[in-house]
Amino acid sequence: MSKLGNERKNNLGPSQLSDVNQPLLTVNHITVGFQHNGNINKAVNDVSFQIKEGEILGMAGESGSGKTITALTIMGLLSKEASVLGGSILFDGKDLFRLKPEEFRKIKGNQISMIFQEPMTSLNPVMTVGYQTEEMLLLHENQLKQAERKRKTLAALKEAGLKDTETLYYQYPHQLSGGMRQRVMIAMAMICKPKLLIADEPTTALDVTIQAQILGLIQKMNQEYGTSVLFISHDLAVIKNTCTRAFVMQEGEIAEEGTVRDLFNGPKKAYTKKLMAAIPDLSSRKTGFPFSDPDAVQNGQAVLLSGKEKNILEVRNLHVFYEEKAKKLFSKKTRKQVVNNVSLTISQGEILGIVGESGSGKSSLAKAVVGLIDSKTGEVILNEERPQMVFQDPYGSLNPAKKVGWILEEPLKLAGGYSQRERKSKVLKILNEVGLPDEYTERYLSQLSGGQRQRVAIGASLIRNSKFIVLDEPVSALDVTVQARILELLKKLQKEYDLSYLFISHDLKVIYQMCDRVCVMYQGEIVETAFVEELFRKPVHPYSKKLLEAVL
Amino acid sequence: MKYFIRKLSSLILTLLLVSIFLFISFQVIPGDSAAASLGTSATKETVEALREELGLNRNVFVRYFSWLGNALCGDFGISAQYNMPVSLLLKERMPVTLWLAVLSIALIIIISIPLGIQSAKKEGGVSDRVITFLTHTAMAVPPFFLGIIITLVFGLILKWFIPGRYISYSENPGQFLGYMIFPAIAIAIPKTAMTIKFLRSSVIRQLKLDYVRTARSKGNQENVILYRHVLKNAFIPVITFIAMVIADVLAGSIIIEQLFSLPGMGRMLVTAISNRDFSVVQAIVIYIAAVVVVINFLVDIIYRCIDPRVRV
Amino acid sequence: MNTEKIHYNINFIAGLIIISLVLFFVTAGIFYTPYDPNEMNGAIKNMTPDFAHPFGTDNFGRDILSRVMSGAGTTFIVALSTVAIGAVMGTLIGAVTGYYGGFIDEILMRVNDGLTSFPSILLALVFVSIIGPGKYNVILALGIIFIPSFARVVRSEYITLKQMDFVKNAKLMGAGDFRIMFVHILPNTKLILLSSVTIGFNNAVLAEAGMSYLQLGVQPPDASLGRMLSEAQAYLFNAPWCALAPGLMIVLTVLGFSLLNER
Repeated sequence: MSKLGNERKNNLGPSQLSDVNQPLLTVNHITVGFQHNGNINKAVNDVSFQIKEGEILGMAGESGSGKTITALTIMGLLSKEASVLGGSILFDGKDLFRLKPEEFRKIKGNQISMIFQEPMTSLNPVMTVGYQTEEMLLLHENQLKQAERKRKTLAALKEAGLKDTETLYYQYPHQLSGGMRQRVMIAMAMICKPKLLIADEPTTALDVTIQAQILGLIQKMNQEYGTSVLFISHDLAVIKNTCTRAFVMQEGEIAEEGTVRDLFNGPKKAYTKKLMAAIPDLSSRKTGFPFSDPDAVQNGQAVLLSGKEKNILEVRNLHVFYEEKAKKLFSKKTRKQVVNNVSLTISQGEILGIVGESGSGKSSLAKAVVGLIDSKTGEVILNEERPQMVFQDPYGSLNPAKKVGWILEEPLKLAGGYSQRERKSKVLKILNEVGLPDEYTERYLSQLSGGQRQRVAIGASLIRNSKFIVLDEPVSALDVTVQARILELLKKLQKEYDLSYLFISHDLKVIYQMCDRVCVMYQGEIVETAFVEELFRKPVHPYSKKLLEAVL
Repeated sequence: MKYFIRKLSSLILTLLLVSIFLFISFQVIPGDSAAASLGTSATKETVEALREELGLNRNVFVRYFSWLGNALCGDFGISAQYNMPVSLLLKERMPVTLWLAVLSIALIIIISIPLGIQSAKKEGGVSDRVITFLTHTAMAVPPFFLGIIITLVFGLILKWFIPGRYISYSENPGQFLGYMIFPAIAIAIPKTAMTIKFLRSSVIRQLKLDYVRTARSKGNQENVILYRHVLKNAFIPVITFIAMVIADVLAGSIIIEQLFSLPGMGRMLVTAISNRDFSVVQAIVIYIAAVVVVINFLVDIIYRCIDPRVRV
Repeated sequence: MNTEKIHYNINFIAGLIIISLVLFFVTAGIFYTPYDPNEMNGAIKNMTPDFAHPFGTDNFGRDILSRVMSGAGTTFIVALSTVAIGAVMGTLIGAVTGYYGGFIDEILMRVNDGLTSFPSILLALVFVSIIGPGKYNVILALGIIFIPSFARVVRSEYITLKQMDFVKNAKLMGAGDFRIMFVHILPNTKLILLSSVTIGFNNAVLAEAGMSYLQLGVQPPDASLGRMLSEAQAYLFNAPWCALAPGLMIVLTVLGFSLLNER
C-alpha cells in the first residue's frame, strides 16, 4: 500500500486495532436544546452511546430525529442558537466539553474529522482543492516543509480514488462533480489519519453507483487505518451494508440499538419495526400483472407488447433536446441531446417504471411525454387529453401563495362547466380520497408537511379524472415511513380508478415495489426494458447489473 | 484576453448607444441652444444666423457624426452660456469633482470595511446593535440635508471652515483639503452606512454556509476562518455594490457642489440645465456615463480575478 | 434566533410608529394647515419656534409648520405617483420579458442594465433639462426612470418562478399564459414587490427633494421640502429651524419606510 498506510501502522499498531473493546468515544447522556420563543426545544434528549476503536457505528433515523445535531455536538460545531444542556463526551480519555477551545481546536481535523452531506457546498468555492486539503497539514502538522506537504496532499487525494491529482491540486470545487468533491472531502478528512471519522449522510446527495464507491472508500479507510467511523444515514440499507453495530434515533432520543443483524432481523421497538417495514422489500412482492411474456424481455431497446388491451401511451423513436440559453446576445443557442431514440408503451392500467441516475434523461423523457418540452422529435401518442404529473419536490410543485382549496379547485375552474358548489364538493371528495381532512382546504402549504403536500399534489392531478399520470420521483423527498404511505396511496388510487402511471425513480427498491415493467435509462437511452422480477432476477445490460449490485 | 476584448467592445458599444440616445434626446427639445443663448429679444434672422453658424441646420446624421468625431478629439463644442469651448470649461472643473469623488470614496471604504466586518463578526452583540442603529439612521439622511447640518455646525458655529469660501488646490493645497473634506463627508456618510449594511449581511450570509462549518471542523481559528475563508467570498457581491456607490457618489456631487459652492462639474451641470446650455449638458452626461461604464468594466475584471467560478 | 426576532420586531414597530406619524401629518396637511403656507408676513420674519408657530417662521414670515405639512404632501404625491408608474409598468414589462424570454427580452434587459447602472438623479436631470421642471414633469421623469429597476426585480422573479414545478402543473391543467403569469405567478412576487415599492418610494422622496433643492423640481407656488431646504440655506445662521424642520421630515419618512422594510 502507499506510504500513507505505512505511517499509519506506526501510529496505531495492529495490536490496538484488535483491541476492539476499548471505547474511543463515549457519549454520556447528552441533551441539546434550541431556544425558541422563550421555550427550549430539545433536539437531542439524553443520548448515550460508545464507539469502539476501529468500529463503524451506524446512526439511523428520519430527518429531524437529531442525528446531525448529535454529530455537530461531538465536533463542537453547534450553532449559536443551540446549547448543550447536559451530559458529557469523552474522547480518548478527554472530556470534550471541558477542553479549552484551543485544545479542542487541535483535536478537530487531526483526531476527529467529519464529512458532510452536501459535497456541492461543503468546500470553499474560491479556494483551490489543493489548498483546502493542504490546510489540514498547515493546521496540524505545520512542521512539514512545503514540498512535503504537497506530496502528502497529492498522495491523500490519490488515496481517495482521485485521478490526475497534479491538475486537481490547482482546480476549484466548481470544476468537480459531486462524487469527486465528496472524495476530496474524504481525502481532507483522512489526511491527518484521525482516530474518529464522523460521516454525516456522506452519500445521500450522490447517485447510487457513486454511492457504492464512496461507501467502499470509507470502509477501506476504516480497515486500513483503523479509523473508527460514526456513520450517519437515513437510509437503512446503507447502514446495513456498512456498519456492524447501529442505533436508531427518533425525535432526539435513541429508539433502539444493537448489532445490525439484530436490528434488521428482530427489531424490538414499535418505531424500529415501522421503519423496517417501510423499507421496500425485495423478496416478497405480490405480482399480478397480466402480461407475463418472457419473450418480451429479449429486446433490449423496448418492449412493444402486442396489445391485448389498448395502449394509453405509445412513444416511438423519441429524441429530446435541451436548449441551453445563449449566454451572449446574438450567439447561437446550443442544443444538447438528453433523450436518445427512446420507444416505449404503457397499456391501460399499467405502471411502467423508469430507473436511472441523475442526468440519465428520465425527467426529460417524462416532461416530453406530457408535452412540457417542445424541443423533441419522434412520436408520442397519448390516449389521454390531460396527462398529469406529480413532481419530486412538493415544495415547488404547488403554488406557495395559494391555499390547498384553491389549488385543488383551479383545475376544475380551468376545465369550466362546474358550478361553484360542484367544485367545492369535488374538492372535498378528492381531499378525502388522498387522506386529508376537510379543513385542509383553508390551509396554506407552509402549514403542511412534505407528505401532506404530496397528497395534495396527487389529489390535484386526479381531480379532473385523468387516466394517465406521470410520477417523477414522487417519494424521493420524503422520509421512509411517509414514503411507504404515499406509495400505498398511489397503489390504492391506481386500482380504484384504473390509472396508468409512468413512474420515475432513481430508487430500484421503490420501482420494485410499485411497477409492473421497468425501463433502465442510461445516458439518454433505454438500455433495458423488462418485467420487474425479470430485471431483478436476471439483469441483461451491464449497467443494469451495476445498478442492482449497488442496491442489493 | 478574449474576454478582455469582448468586455472592451461592449464598453465601447454602450458608450456609443449612450451618445446616440443623448444626441437624439436633445434634438427633440423645442427651442435649441441658438434661441436660448440669444434670449427672447432676438429676432428670427439673428437666431437663424447663429443656427447656421453653430451648424444646427444640417442633417441629423451629419451633425451626430461630426459631434461624435469632435467629441472623440475632446471637442464638445462651444458653451452658449459662457461662449467658451466646453472642453476648456470641463478641464477647469473636472479636478474639483474628481477630488471630491476620490475623497468620498476613500472615506466610504476606510470606514465601512472594518465596521461592516466587526458588525457581522459580533452579530447581535452590543457593537453590532449600535452600528446597525447608526447605519439605519445615516441611510435616511439625504446628503444635502447632511451638508446643511455640517455647514451649520462646523462652518457657522464651530467655524472650522467658511461656508462658500472655496480655496483651490493651486492656491493652498492644505486649505483646499480642509475645505473639501466637509462636502466629502456629507456625500460619504449615507453611502458608508449602506456599504456597512451590505457588507455586514454579505459576511453573515457567508458565515452560515456549509464551507464555514467544514473550515471549523478542520480546527481553524475563528479569525482565520473569517479572514482567510469568508472575506474573499463575502467581498464578491460587495465589489458590484461599491461600483454602484461610486456612480451614486458622482451623482451626489451634483447637489453637494451646489451646496458648498464648489466650482465642479456638477454645479456646472445644474447651471447649464437652468440656462439650457445643451452642449455643456451633453458633455457632462457623456463624461459621467463614461466613468460609470469604465467602472463597471473594471468591476468585471476584478470579479474575474477573485471569483474562480466566473473564469471559463 | 430569538433575540434577532425581537430585534427585527423592534425595527418594524419603530418603523410603523414613525410612518403613522408622518402619514398623519401629511394627510392632515391636505385638509388643514394652521396658516396659509404661502402667506407672507413681514412682521414675523425669522421667528424662533414659539406657541403660535411651533416650527418658527422663515425669512418671508411664512409659517414653517404649514409649509412642511403642505411640502411633505407634495413630496408624497410625487413619490407615490412615481412609484405607481414605475411599479405598474415595471411589473408588466418584467412579467412579460421574464416569462417569455427571447430576443426582445435580451434587448430590453440590456437597455435596462445600462439605465439602472446610472444614478437616477442624473437621468432625471437630463429628462428635466429636456422637458422642463415642474411637478408633473418630475413625476413623469422619475416614473419612467424607476421602471427599469422594478422590471429587473420582477423579471428575475419570473425567471425563477416560471421554472418551478407548480407552473408546469398549471400548464398541464390547461392554464393559459396570461392566467399563469398573473394568477399563478404574480401572487408569489408579493413580498419582493412590496419591498421594492418601499425602497422605490424612499428613492423617489430623495430624488424629488434633491431636484427641488436644485430648483429643478417642483416649482413655486407648490411648497416642497427640497426647495425649503435650499431657501433656508441662505439664512442658515439666523434661522436654522427653517432647514431643520423640512430636513427632519425627509429623514423620518425615509427612516420609517426603511425600518418597515427590515425583515
